[in-house]
Amino acid sequence: MGWALLLLRISLRNIFSSFLNVIVGLIILAATFFFVVGGSLVNSMDKTMSKSIIDSVAGHAQVYESSSKDKPALFDSWQIPDLDPIPDFSKIKGPLLSDPNVSAVVPEGVNTAIVVYGNTIDQILEKLRKAESPGAGSIMEPAQSNPGPPHEASGQMTRQQRKEMIDSLKAHVRQMIFVIQNDMEKHNKIGAAGSVDPQSIKDLQHAASPAFWAGFDADPLNHLEFLENKIAYLVPDSDQIFLSYVGTDLDAFAKSFDRLQIVDGGMVPPGHRGMLLSKYVYENMFKLKSAHRLDQIHEAITEKRQTIAKNPDLQDLVRQNREQTHEIVLQLDPLSSQKAVSILQGALHSKETDLPKLLSSFFDTNDSNFEARYKIFYDQLAPMLELYRLKPGDTLTIKTYTKSGYVEAVNVKIYGTFQFRGLEKSSMAGSLSLMDLMSFRDLYGYVTPEKIAETKSLEKAAGVKFVPRDQAEADLFGGSTKTDVVQSQPKAINDEAAMGGAKVKRVDLTRQAYTQDEIDKGIVMGAAVILKDPSKLKQTMKNLQAISDKDNLGLKVIDWQQSTGFVGQFVNLTKLILFLASFIIFVVMLVIINNAVVMATLQRVREIGTMRAIGARRLFVLFMVVVETMALGLVFGTIGSALGSALVVLLEHVGMAAPNDWFYFFFSGPKFFPWLNAGSLIGAFIVVVIVTCISALYPAWMATRVSPIQAIAAED
Amino acid sequence: MPQHAEKTAIVSIQKVVKEYHLDKVVVPALRGVSLTVRQGDFLSIVGPSGSGKTTLLNLIGCVDTATRGTVMVDGQDTKGLNDRQLTDLRLHTLGFIFQSFNLVPVLSVFQNVEFPLLLQRKFTAAERAQRVDELLKKVGLDKHTQHRPSELSGGQRQRVAIARALVTRPKIVLADEPTANLDSVTGENIIDLMKEMNEEEKTTFIFSTHDAKVMSHANSVIRLADGKIAAGKAAAGRH
Repeated sequence: MGWALLLLRISLRNIFSSFLNVIVGLIILAATFFFVVGGSLVNSMDKTMSKSIIDSVAGHAQVYESSSKDKPALFDSWQIPDLDPIPDFSKIKGPLLSDPNVSAVVPEGVNTAIVVYGNTIDQILEKLRKAESPGAGSIMEPAQSNPGPPHEASGQMTRQQRKEMIDSLKAHVRQMIFVIQNDMEKHNKIGAAGSVDPQSIKDLQHAASPAFWAGFDADPLNHLEFLENKIAYLVPDSDQIFLSYVGTDLDAFAKSFDRLQIVDGGMVPPGHRGMLLSKYVYENMFKLKSAHRLDQIHEAITEKRQTIAKNPDLQDLVRQNREQTHEIVLQLDPLSSQKAVSILQGALHSKETDLPKLLSSFFDTNDSNFEARYKIFYDQLAPMLELYRLKPGDTLTIKTYTKSGYVEAVNVKIYGTFQFRGLEKSSMAGSLSLMDLMSFRDLYGYVTPEKIAETKSLEKAAGVKFVPRDQAEADLFGGSTKTDVVQSQPKAINDEAAMGGAKVKRVDLTRQAYTQDEIDKGIVMGAAVILKDPSKLKQTMKNLQAISDKDNLGLKVIDWQQSTGFVGQFVNLTKLILFLASFIIFVVMLVIINNAVVMATLQRVREIGTMRAIGARRLFVLFMVVVETMALGLVFGTIGSALGSALVVLLEHVGMAAPNDWFYFFFSGPKFFPWLNAGSLIGAFIVVVIVTCISALYPAWMATRVSPIQAIAAED
Repeated sequence: MPQHAEKTAIVSIQKVVKEYHLDKVVVPALRGVSLTVRQGDFLSIVGPSGSGKTTLLNLIGCVDTATRGTVMVDGQDTKGLNDRQLTDLRLHTLGFIFQSFNLVPVLSVFQNVEFPLLLQRKFTAAERAQRVDELLKKVGLDKHTQHRPSELSGGQRQRVAIARALVTRPKIVLADEPTANLDSVTGENIIDLMKEMNEEEKTTFIFSTHDAKVMSHANSVIRLADGKIAAGKAAAGRH
């Protein structure tokens, strides 16, 4: 068709004929660029993030008790969802595994515990107490797989070694008391009179007196008690740590989530109770704070190419390190303190003898001296310090509030720390630690038959009586009843036989190995389902729901995205934002292009009038404007798409560095390698065609209204 | 020559009145004009500005319709035609030459001349090329076929416009002040060229002008004043 070719020829030649066209073209170019890059980024992030979520905890799908009020929310550690337990995992495991696409079913439940951590002086006193009475209490016993430093292996010490150790610990405590006294004095000077309890000052003076220490060896336990009760609380660095954890069948978990890597310590032995701390939590919560801050600065400088001079966050870390030297000062016994002073004097070329002041100026780092001091810290100071408050092999007392509101506590041995490969730096993937299912059940408040029996015997011994609600007032406060609530209490407390029995059992628990059957038979809060072919997720979810409905398992099946709370919704959120942004761009483009084409058309009234006079029909003029605008759109759209694609391809090779720890999760690693998404490319073109078509309609209609008279009359 | 003897009326105008409405004021442009143009005429419409020359040309050119009276072009009453029929009449029967040439700036000389043929959609590419080349040779622009209008002088542009007007072999060519934007020598050349075409192709030329030199080439002249025909040098054109 000759005239169609003519239209095309006119439109292509017209593209660069007017300034307005170039503006329209640039808008289209920018928009397609945005669509291609944005679409590809969101699509790629969706894929990498779902990989992060699926590979770290969620699995492809989650099952949970259908009567539950909430849905599982694996990463919403700030709010534990209200889930009803699945009474017996073994009853659902088999049926779920019967689906040919299911490769594993891993029990999972999320909970948050409070770990109350004693302060520095508490820890030293505890060591001292242990040294004074070897064999009693095995709380700090090292793990078989992880023998701690030699002085902690208390069993095999000679009398001489023990004496030396006790002396050293005692010296350390005295040093600490001295530090506290100094602090108190300073405090008294700064604060108003009476801001420090005079009793505390007296206690400190007593604890610091040579007489106190002279009498220590004769009666160590009483002296220790005095220190623990009257002195330790004066050091305000004890900590409450909120620890989020997943209670799971650890062996099955490690097999199914093969991104799991042990960093420190080792895996919990099969069937044993135990916990693996997330490396991220371990570093952030349990590491010596000064050291952790140094790590953060070091990482920012070496990996993110930041400078202290320019980054206020790093300056803040330096300031905190300068001001908070307490933790280190308290950790050092007199001998180490002296060593530290000489190291610091050497490093700083200073004659200062005060350790806190030396530390303060040592930590006052800038970009030129940081790396050197970082090295001195780790090479020379760190060996004298306990870098971590908790070591693999230690036992942690974990407290939770059960659903009914009372507090459950369980001692769990920490076997090591772990991370998910590629997600090492992700605060999100690192927020969850792992706990064995047995301990999890205990903390959940799960009632075993033995527990019921134990409770019954305690109730009997304490004289507890069931009081129905409607008679409560009469029973408790009425004069006629003989049993008294207050009277019954001392009995329970004095019942040593029952309490002692319970204690012994608890110690045994950490050593007990459970069979797979024992682990499986019991409550779980839910389970992750791992699939062989993830692309069939939707179909498999349907099948699993059908299995549950048929066998009356009472389960609900949801996909990984629904089961991860806010995080799972994040991709949807970014998609929504992209969609909204696209929509706004769409509308803005429509308006601008429409206006520009109207103006361009008005400028061409004479040309259009001439064509009409020569014999061009209205339809020809209409097509001319539409085709011209579309050609403009396609040409600039192609350029925009090409540029966008080039950027995405470039990013695919170079990678995008995560701006902060949060993004590690979304990027599924420290760097994000987006790839070009065909959908975005096609979408960009469709959008361009639609937008240009719509925005050209009005000016095109206007063009048809141009009278041929205007060709003749113009320029008079 | 037999056709010459017959002198069939190609344009016939009867008591035409044209009024424009500016807000509520009615401005009369033509107040009862009657005239007949015969095939092969080389007719000049003259008169001062605002006398109604352009309005008369617009009516003959089927780009405007009369308020009252009849305008017959090639035997068709333009009043009874819709926009599409008027457009087709312009495409097949009429040719236009404008005061400021009105070429499509993005098209080459060749393409500008080819344009009406493409709109007619009845010739093959080879046929079109042959006609365009032939005409461009006639107007002396066969060396400039690939140039853009902006690369040509005013006279050359008007030659292109003449070629474009003649390429469909129309019965009537309308030219509104074709020499107004040209210097006198070039203007005369253009008129000579039109005259030549008129004689060779027997194409009817109707042009408006107020250039006395140009007028002298016409074989009939219509004088307009205040929307009426004042006097005619060649009264033969009148009824």
